[in-house]
Amino acid sequence: MKIRQVISIIASKLTIFLLHLLKRGGTTLPGKVAFKLYPDILKSIASNFEIIMVTGTNGKTTTTRIVEEILKNNNVDYITNKSGANLLSGITTLFIQAVSISGKPKHKVALIESDEAAFNQVTKHLTPKAVIVTNFFRDQLDRYGELYSTLNAVKSGLERIGDNTALILNADDSMCASLGIATAKPVIYYGINQQAYQATSENMNSDAMFCIQCKNKYEYSNRIYGHLGGFYCTNCGYKRPDAHLECIEIQEAGSSYSTIKCKCSSTLLQENNEFVTRINLPGLYNIYNAMAAAACGLALGYKVETISNALQSFESGFGRMESINVMDKTIKLILVKNPTGFNQVLSFLALENQSLNTAFLINDNLADGTDISWLWDVDFEQLNNVSDKIDGLITSGVRGEDMAVRLKYSGLDTSKIRIIKDYHMLIEEGLKKTPPGGCFYILPTYTAMLDIRSILKKKFNLKEFWK
Amino acid sequence: MFDLNICHLYPDLLNTYGDRGNILALQKRAQWHGINTTVQNVTIGDNFDASDYDIIFLGGGQDYEQEIIQKDVLEQKNTEIKNAIENMKVFLCICGGYQLMGKYYKTWDGKEIEFLGALDLWTVGGKERMIGNIVFESNFIMENGNPLKIVGFENHSGRTYLGENIRPLGKVLFGNGNNGTDGYEGAVYKNVYCSYSHGSLLPKNPMLTDHLLTLALKQKYTDFDALGKLDDTFENEARNTVIQRILK
Repeated sequence: MKIRQVISIIASKLTIFLLHLLKRGGTTLPGKVAFKLYPDILKSIASNFEIIMVTGTNGKTTTTRIVEEILKNNNVDYITNKSGANLLSGITTLFIQAVSISGKPKHKVALIESDEAAFNQVTKHLTPKAVIVTNFFRDQLDRYGELYSTLNAVKSGLERIGDNTALILNADDSMCASLGIATAKPVIYYGINQQAYQATSENMNSDAMFCIQCKNKYEYSNRIYGHLGGFYCTNCGYKRPDAHLECIEIQEAGSSYSTIKCKCSSTLLQENNEFVTRINLPGLYNIYNAMAAAACGLALGYKVETISNALQSFESGFGRMESINVMDKTIKLILVKNPTGFNQVLSFLALENQSLNTAFLINDNLADGTDISWLWDVDFEQLNNVSDKIDGLITSGVRGEDMAVRLKYSGLDTSKIRIIKDYHMLIEEGLKKTPPGGCFYILPTYTAMLDIRSILKKKFNLKEFWK
Repeated sequence: MFDLNICHLYPDLLNTYGDRGNILALQKRAQWHGINTTVQNVTIGDNFDASDYDIIFLGGGQDYEQEIIQKDVLEQKNTEIKNAIENMKVFLCICGGYQLMGKYYKTWDGKEIEFLGALDLWTVGGKERMIGNIVFESNFIMENGNPLKIVGFENHSGRTYLGENIRPLGKVLFGNGNNGTDGYEGAVYKNVYCSYSHGSLLPKNPMLTDHLLTLALKQKYTDFDALGKLDDTFENEARNTVIQRILK
């Protein structure tokens, strides 16, 4: 037994214990302590787990929660990181919690959400059995640098791990799909078929318009949103790969769920390779999250029925469309952090058939991204299509004033826009305006979500997130 | 009735940090002032005749996209842009678009990339990016008798230096500006306005937007006098919040 390892685990577990005594949900510090004492700690204790990793720009948390539900449906004993502890130290803390002092694992599987910029670092220590990559969009450029550096970081992280790792990749994302080129690893692609969805307008502010291979402009046979869709390059021939798992029909797109028909290639499922299922969250982006998780489940050999059950029963992750019932009204909390994600949330809001009361909480702390320029890349103009339904728009957070300016320039009626910096007052105002049976939407950036969530927790008894 | 034609150059390539907000600001404020606008997108391979437009906008891009436009801008649009500048056409160039107007970009390991050379300025790459909020004051525009305080957000590794005929857009009060050393931000030459400020620059600094609209209208209409006043409550609150936060 390695004595440094034991000391490192004990010190780290002690830190976790102390933080809990202080009623703080610390996930970073224990990991840091462990590394300080024994740099190989994670590599050493994680090697006894079967690891599934999820990375990419948007949808990591939700995809991870769906995979979790698949594991539950298969009675698999697992650990997983919650509450956005998806950097190296948070992941280390999770593993420390999951082993005995001698380093023996208490569980079989580890389901790990990894920040895309940290992925390269994390894979120095972990060798996953499967990696899901959701997508690449511009996000927090002040922190990540350029979009292509994020892609390259994930790419070199993947190159570091052996050829036995299955890659679960988004076929509709030219950047994500490119990770499947020139690799010896088994690759499973998932996507939305062009028969299932065709966007009506081309998004001007697409993130990857030029070929990743030869820099020629892509043509598209269909567009889903952002740069996702049936891309092909007329110059070098790089094109959307055929997907092993596809959504071939969206039968129902409601404001709380979607019903879809899927088709599977024979590599994933031999008999009855079509199935209909319901996804327990609305919106196109959740169809992608569901496809990603389902493709991973099929690749790992789980049965279609258990996967379908999981899609119908999973609950969204921390701050991702969480619902709080307050008397006869609902507060819905939806995290926003980059243009594409925000656009998807707005198109979802447009489905709401009642009057729309929405609060936008914009912070510019490190974890949110210190640059709020991205608000100008969000298509708030689409709210003009539902302007008759908009009752009140509240802006708040450190950058609430900037958000008000953004809404004003989108052409919405300024008399409906109010800046309310106090969160207690904001909740009160929002609820007051919401009709019985109606919904008050709160759209915060990450740190604003932590703040408003802790207020909502006190007010309405929400679960503590780190439990 | 006055109208203005706005050209967004390379909108699909130079649009990294919400630069589209500048186009929106020009369009919206013109509309609120009762002026008609059209916005034309012009990109790689498109024919570009500067005389069709009153205001030309270039935003910032990532290295990958900047490389793609290099050939098109140097070979296809070079002369048109240079002539337009000398003919007092109004330009707004942000970050990558700003650097592109200069003579060259020298990477930190010594490689020199030729740029348009429309303005006497040049950029040298640095290893560290200069990222963060920026406030600078510009005496091109006066506010209650004082130089206008402009706020934005910068994110660049290039250090830009100005030649003799180019004046800086303003003096840095907080942040790095052109090169982090000489205390200046942006550049002005004739009616070309350049800045490293994203944020977006124009929506939050409405007096600068109106200044550019005025320049363009004066170029186009001899009978144009001045723009009226608009309600800028939100804009001023956003600008003042940042100023108070970082200059306190």
